[in-house]
Amino acid sequence: MAVAQAAGRLAAPPQRRWWRGRAGLVVAIVVGMAIAFIGWRNQVVWPASLTWNALAHHLDSFQVWLSDHRNVPHPSVFFRGFNGLANFLDNLVGWLTSLFFKLTWAGTTVLGVLVVLRFGGRRAALGTAAAFLSFGLMGLWESSMRTFALTLASVGLSLAIGLPLGVLAGRSDRFQRLITPVLDAMQIIPAFAYLMPIVLLFSVGPGAAVVTTLIYSVPPAIRITALGIRGVPTNTVEAAAALGATRMQTLFKVQLPLARRMLLLSVNQTILFALSMVVIAGLIGGQGLGDVVTSGLYSNPALALLAGAAIVIMAIALDRATEAMANRTDPAHRHLTEGKQRQLRLFTLGCAAAVGLAAGLGNALGAGSVWSRWTGQSWLLRQVQSALDYVQNPDTFIFHITNPIGNFLVQYGLEPLRSFFVELPWPAMTFGLALIAFLISGLRPAVVTLAMFSLIGLTNEWTQAMDTLSQVLVATVLTMIVGIPLGVWAAESNRTRRVMRPILDVLQTLPQLVYIIPFIYLMPVSIVPGVIAGVLYASPVVIRLVEAGVREVSPHSVEAAGAFGATRFQTLLKVKIPLAREAIMLGVNQGMIMVLAVVVIGGLVGSGALGYDVAQGLQQSLFGQGVLASLAILALGIALDRVTQGRRRRRLEDLA
Amino acid sequence: MTAVAETAGSFGHEVERSGAPLIDVEGVWKIFGRNADRIVGTADAELSRGELRAKHNCVAAVRDVSFQVWPREVFVVMGLSGSGKSTLVRTLIRLIEPTAGRVEIDGRDITSASQAELRELRRHTSSMVFQHFGLLAHRRVIDNVAFGLEIQGVSKAERLRRAEEVLTLVGLDDVGNSFPDQLSGGMQQRVGLARAFAVDPKVMLYDEPFSALDPLIRRDMQDEVIRLQHETGKTMVFITHDLPEALRLGDRIAIMRDGAIVQLGTPEELVGSPADEYVANFVRDIPRSHVLTLRWIMRDPAPGDEDGPRLDVRTTVRNAVPLIVESEKPVCAVEEGRVVGVVDKEAVLTAIAGESG
Repeated sequence: MAVAQAAGRLAAPPQRRWWRGRAGLVVAIVVGMAIAFIGWRNQVVWPASLTWNALAHHLDSFQVWLSDHRNVPHPSVFFRGFNGLANFLDNLVGWLTSLFFKLTWAGTTVLGVLVVLRFGGRRAALGTAAAFLSFGLMGLWESSMRTFALTLASVGLSLAIGLPLGVLAGRSDRFQRLITPVLDAMQIIPAFAYLMPIVLLFSVGPGAAVVTTLIYSVPPAIRITALGIRGVPTNTVEAAAALGATRMQTLFKVQLPLARRMLLLSVNQTILFALSMVVIAGLIGGQGLGDVVTSGLYSNPALALLAGAAIVIMAIALDRATEAMANRTDPAHRHLTEGKQRQLRLFTLGCAAAVGLAAGLGNALGAGSVWSRWTGQSWLLRQVQSALDYVQNPDTFIFHITNPIGNFLVQYGLEPLRSFFVELPWPAMTFGLALIAFLISGLRPAVVTLAMFSLIGLTNEWTQAMDTLSQVLVATVLTMIVGIPLGVWAAESNRTRRVMRPILDVLQTLPQLVYIIPFIYLMPVSIVPGVIAGVLYASPVVIRLVEAGVREVSPHSVEAAGAFGATRFQTLLKVKIPLAREAIMLGVNQGMIMVLAVVVIGGLVGSGALGYDVAQGLQQSLFGQGVLASLAILALGIALDRVTQGRRRRRLEDLA
Repeated sequence: MTAVAETAGSFGHEVERSGAPLIDVEGVWKIFGRNADRIVGTADAELSRGELRAKHNCVAAVRDVSFQVWPREVFVVMGLSGSGKSTLVRTLIRLIEPTAGRVEIDGRDITSASQAELRELRRHTSSMVFQHFGLLAHRRVIDNVAFGLEIQGVSKAERLRRAEEVLTLVGLDDVGNSFPDQLSGGMQQRVGLARAFAVDPKVMLYDEPFSALDPLIRRDMQDEVIRLQHETGKTMVFITHDLPEALRLGDRIAIMRDGAIVQLGTPEELVGSPADEYVANFVRDIPRSHVLTLRWIMRDPAPGDEDGPRLDVRTTVRNAVPLIVESEKPVCAVEEGRVVGVVDKEAVLTAIAGESG
């Protein structure tokens, strides 16, 4: 009897609640939304009574009040502290910049190259030399050094904050749990959402640029440091404890030295994250290449492109140099004899002397602070300009490819979707999406989605937000069309993976705005550059996630399928892809968030929507409107994240 | 005499058990899980592992374990993986906090010691050898060996001198300047041994130190431990899942199952009279004649027996066989010059026959 019961229990499939996990229901909801669209098109707009119209005005007067109180001769203690911080950040950047200028280009180049040579080896040093040389040849030496100073200051502060917190998170599970959602939020929020509040607090200048960069670059510093500390073998830590080491002794003699390579990799990542923010920082007073890019977008596109190239070169050089340093100086793998150490010490002294000599000579021979002679800037600008003219000329071959693609996207993707979202009755939109969130992710995400959409309506940014949403959706679909097949291909073929890897590396290193620039000219159709740039920005991550997911499918399952005579294609379709579904879902989630970050930046170059309102806020001092648009971006980002997060994250939380 | 090499641990030295024990463990529990504190002392403590997990979502790794270890003794804790033996050895110096019970080492109560007192104990009284060595990859071998002394704040010259001494002791004179990853697994564990010896502890704890090594090297290392034990006379607590290793090294052996000790005794006691089916299953494949000594199979001497050939009472049966077979008269087992018993052919045959059944 008991056996029969048990067998019955085993035989019955696990009860699935009727409202769970049904693709059909999602489709039904979408159909319902379409019916609402046809029936009540443009008739139910977000009611004015539910809009807080005065909010923008309040925010404007708050800003005026704030700047009035900050700039009086004797500000209160709070503002004095705050101004002090802002000044400190400004001065830090200024001091570093003037250091590079005083060293002259000769001294700075020699310093950079020798530091990399000493710690990173010959190849990395060659790359660094080439990078410095190219800044000079492009005639962008001064801007490059300002950007470099801004990056260094931000990285220094990120590490000063990130390393201690990372060590803490590495040693304490509770702190790790506490800080993880904060870090998630810092990385998910598009930069455009916090530019305005930062400008409000710090006013435009290098200080604000540093803070913007910090928000983005501190999380990787903390995460990777914690990872490094946790990666130290437990039994080594245990051995130290068994010998009676104090917590501090364990930290400094065991954990930090053994985590050293990871710590240096966290420096590497922090630099890349910081650098990818400098273009945006150019919008709020970060001088240097970012400034050249953002102001050149309208007035001098060739120069903007050139500056963009300089940023890319800087990113790649810094990436390679710091990675080489991390690998080469790892004490666990590089065993130095005492003779070798003495040699290295002598070499270091020699390097210092060489830097002094180069700086002295540079000053004496009048190299000045700026590489002014022998630049190829005007020649380069002519080349870039002629390339731009070429792609924009309706008679050329390229134009016949790019123009129809752009038009197609607008005509059959962006425009219909935009009008669907904008003209759809708002209750259908809000509750429809909340229902989808409920089906895919569960109750709490659905509630959050509902709240976020209400917030968007409240801020009077409904139309713009729906516009942005349509762009995000089109870009996400394109990202998936590109990313999933490429990811599967990379997982199936080692050769494809080898070919794709450096390309993905470079794409991931590039700052968000840099993606957009070329497409402004390649596809000069208002919204398209932002969308295409979003696809390019998000694709590498999606490809990597899908590839990892497919590769991680248990070899036993694959082998079993093969044993039953499945073809490669069958194995892929029936075993690997279904088993990699969670990775693909994660790809959708991450891809969407990344696309949003780029699409709103597109507001600078004609994508309109929420990004345009923020850009207006920054450039025309329409402060209140800018903050509200920022809020709407934030709300949209959170809603999209929640709708697509799936049940995966909850499951992870259950485990933790 | 080859017998010394066979069961060196139990044969090579005498453990004086009249004084105070060096390690005194009394009713130690370790339960992992949220409500671990509330279980010991209630009826739930008697639940099986599965029931405890179902009821409280807790895992009882160590259940009510008590034992004593006397100076110079080699005490082996043997059990399969998951039996709680590694947890047990960690609770001794509170690398894992015991849930209940009391541990005394060298007369000091460990369970109530402050963090500072605990550090003092770990620095000077105990040291530990780990399964995966736990060496510092970024330091030379000699710095690894000197690490314990560095932690104590010993000057650099002094600790390097001591480290060189210990390296010689474990037969690693010429690798001091190498790095751990340049050595074989066996040599790395010798470094681990040297590091533990360098602080000159009273108690050495071994957590499955040779499980990760090849069988041949494992044997070498066991010999090494036996030799070091003889030369230095340390007290050892040795964790292993390998019964032959336990029999080779241990003066006494505790067999653990599901967190509790199921039998505690000398190798002879375990092999000769296993406490239950579980232990019997374990020792079934062990050749009894290799473990049992004359003491185990001898009978009281009858008048006139005392003129037979003499053998030390601690000789294993296997090594006594040639003499017993050749001799006309029963062999006399001798302890401290006195005949304490006699062994005849029949007794030997019975002992050996027991192996197959």
